Amino acid sequence: MEISIRRLSKNFYSEGKTIAALANVDLNIPANRIFTLLGPSGCGKTTLLRCIVGLEMPDSGEITIGDEVVFSAEKGIYVPPDKRKLGMVFQTYAIWPHMNVFDNVAYPLQARNDPREEIRKKVEKTLHFVQLDGFENRPATKLSGGQQQRVALARALVAEPKVILFDEPLSNLDAKLREETRKELRSFLTELKITAVYVTHDRIEALSLSDAVAVMKSGRIVETGTPWEIYFDSDRRFVADFIGRANFIEGRVASTADRFTMIDSAIGPIASEKKIDASPGKTVTVCIRPEFIRVLKASHKDGENIFRGKVESLVFVGDAYEGEIRVGETLLIFRIEPTTAVREGEEIALHFDPRHCSILLN
Amino acid sequence: MQQTRTALTPSLIAIVGFLTVCPVVMLILGSFTKGLGAFGSFTLEKYVKAYADPAFADILVNTAVFTIGSAVVATVLALFLAYLNTRTNIPFKFMFRIISLIPMMVPHILFAVSWVLLLNPSNGMINLFLRQVLGMDGVALSIYTMPGMILVEGLLDLPIAYLVIAPAMSAFDVSLEESSKVCGASNLRTLTKVTLPVLRPAILAAMTLVIVRSLASFAVPSVIGMPGRIYVLATHIYRVVATGFATDYGLAAAVGMSALAVSITLIFLYRHLTREGEKYVTISSRGYRPTVIDLKKARYPLFGIVALLSFVLIVLPVLVLFYTSLVPYSMVPSAKAFAMMSWKHWIAVLKDPISLLSLKNSLYLGVGGATLGIVLSFFVAYVIVKVRTKASGVLESLSFLSFSFPGIVVGIGFMWFFVQTPLYATIWALLIGYIATYLPYGIRPLTSAFVQIHSNLEESSRVCGGGRLYTMRRIVIPLLIPGIVSGWILMATMFVRELSLSVVLSRPGTEVLAVQIFRFAEDGLWGRLSALGILMIFISTTLVIIASLVGAKLTKVDK
Repeated sequence: MEISIRRLSKNFYSEGKTIAALANVDLNIPANRIFTLLGPSGCGKTTLLRCIVGLEMPDSGEITIGDEVVFSAEKGIYVPPDKRKLGMVFQTYAIWPHMNVFDNVAYPLQARNDPREEIRKKVEKTLHFVQLDGFENRPATKLSGGQQQRVALARALVAEPKVILFDEPLSNLDAKLREETRKELRSFLTELKITAVYVTHDRIEALSLSDAVAVMKSGRIVETGTPWEIYFDSDRRFVADFIGRANFIEGRVASTADRFTMIDSAIGPIASEKKIDASPGKTVTVCIRPEFIRVLKASHKDGENIFRGKVESLVFVGDAYEGEIRVGETLLIFRIEPTTAVREGEEIALHFDPRHCSILLN
Repeated sequence: MQQTRTALTPSLIAIVGFLTVCPVVMLILGSFTKGLGAFGSFTLEKYVKAYADPAFADILVNTAVFTIGSAVVATVLALFLAYLNTRTNIPFKFMFRIISLIPMMVPHILFAVSWVLLLNPSNGMINLFLRQVLGMDGVALSIYTMPGMILVEGLLDLPIAYLVIAPAMSAFDVSLEESSKVCGASNLRTLTKVTLPVLRPAILAAMTLVIVRSLASFAVPSVIGMPGRIYVLATHIYRVVATGFATDYGLAAAVGMSALAVSITLIFLYRHLTREGEKYVTISSRGYRPTVIDLKKARYPLFGIVALLSFVLIVLPVLVLFYTSLVPYSMVPSAKAFAMMSWKHWIAVLKDPISLLSLKNSLYLGVGGATLGIVLSFFVAYVIVKVRTKASGVLESLSFLSFSFPGIVVGIGFMWFFVQTPLYATIWALLIGYIATYLPYGIRPLTSAFVQIHSNLEESSRVCGGGRLYTMRRIVIPLLIPGIVSGWILMATMFVRELSLSVVLSRPGTEVLAVQIFRFAEDGLWGRLSALGILMIFISTTLVIIASLVGAKLTKVDK
């Protein structure tokens, strides 16, 4: 089911100050895709999720799920959460400690008075789906974090909702388990053909799990796109910065005639990927990610996007070397193979792949 | 979704406000009134009479010595026990849980009486033993003294002090102590220079609380103080309304005003201290076990002291009472005494209509009062924890206020109120008074239970399709069962043994257990007193066991 959000606003009041958690948010969440709301803490992503599910009452705007208007300030519509027929996995899992696994999972069906036998069948099927067969009679509190997470997922899925919402569901798991669960979740959700809205502040989670990502900041949607578009083709410095480490080099568009747009910058001319709005004379920022800086021998001959600099610092981080190179006055961060022979203080040449130099409009 | 809540808060404020403000207002009005029958004609003469009395200065001094002395005894003992429990390798640590909880079930009046039975100068068992068995003629140790009162009250308030100090002691960041030791300080020096100063807010809070409790205490001052002619505020008030030819409720109210004012001030001080304490005491989330100090050779001797304390606090009173209920008159345990044992006193009590009535009344008040009280506490705690508006803050302060009420003073205030209503001299007067005075004991466990229910647990039920009521029934109430059970137990045991309020409000026909026991003590009928006392302990214990069993059954997870 598609979710459509129109001009949604929500303010919080604390200690006499008004904080805009959501400011005129417009968003379309396509049906049967995994859609992620990504942003730093306090950006309003969780508030937006809670408005969709009905736990938070927006001040103005409209939310439509499928064909049903579930909230409209203008028309005075507010459908309470228990009537919205959604599934949700909470950050804390919210597993009820006074019930066993069966009752936790069966709860949505019991709440709508399904026949007993049907409940038993559906719970069994759902527990099988999340690979918790035979856990029915375990007290829910006796499970590991990963198992509790799956119980929460089973409970959200058992009533076969058309939309499932996730509020940072992996943040309470340790790093290794988080990675496994992420893959599992991806395969579960793809199999189900369900609209999933996923809230996280973890960019790797967002990139690896989603079909589409919306990046939020201060109650607004900054940018929406596929993970690939967000990572490589972002229009905004905030998004590029938040989604991964990057070098930002200020400059001015010199020409757009060739295959690449040429930017004049403090370190010299940079050939960058084309961008429609970047007309000659405009002030722009070139963004290049550290992994796309190639380090070459100092003797390398000059050419397009070849610069010269000195290795200022170098840290071995296991799967790579990370460090800083000084080019003129500019410090650039880079990341290279651990086998590359570079030393601190060494004079080197470096090369930017123009296809990975993207232009951000200021 | 907001309407139900907005209607709930004001009605609760009205109910709790009535319960807590009514006795105070009536006390103030009463203190300016000529007499119970002449309500509305104002005068200052009661204040003049109360505070110009030359004996009043002695009473104030006695009260100060008694309350501060008890606070010191209780706090020092509590510190000692809490330190041993959280910081050392003393054996059998489960004893500390028993010490901190069980004495709450031994009614204060019975504890005081058991000391009278042991140490009264004429025929106390210890005195009889010294004179008859050891031949020390003329020896008469007396409990009817100020030190005797302080000792007994201090022991009674030890659990309260322990419950304030022990959590602070175990929540305390051990690295503060460790750094002192790294700097070369000895264990003792660390204790006096680091541990105790950091715990100062908790220690002061415990002392304040014990002062408030002992100021309100009626059992010890009446059973131990009055025979020795040592009067404190509580017994002075009692003397004004219950003895002599002319009872004067206006004078009692005027005296009560000062007790109430001190009490309320102290309770706000306590509240301030516990908040300060939260700033000081750092609960480290690192999950390190505090370093345990090895007591070495002192391990078992120190444990001996703990065991002796628990014996004195728990076993001794029950033993003394049971023994006294079986022997015909006070005598040292001996072959002769055992030969003369009979159920005479028990039969006398069970044939005494007033004792039977008091049993019935106390049981009704315990079960019915605790049930009504816990229902009220449930809604109050819900508003305090979950609604969190300005109005709910008012409710919290109101409900906390009655924590400071000395029972006998509130009794006088309520007396002024009930006399104007048909409730006077009915069991309902006692019920309302009990709930008003002991409401915080029901609210406390419930607020902490509510706090522990993460809002996500309720929210996920709503998302799963559970309506507001369905969520309440299947999620909120089941999760609150432990809090409900402990609140009910606290209230029920308090009500079964209630003395200080009842001694004012109880009238012929509405006798309750503690008042009947107090009458027996005044008449020196120790045998019957002991038999009825054992019955009282039996009732309390049965209620506690039943409530715990019901709670355990309701919270069982598996089907």
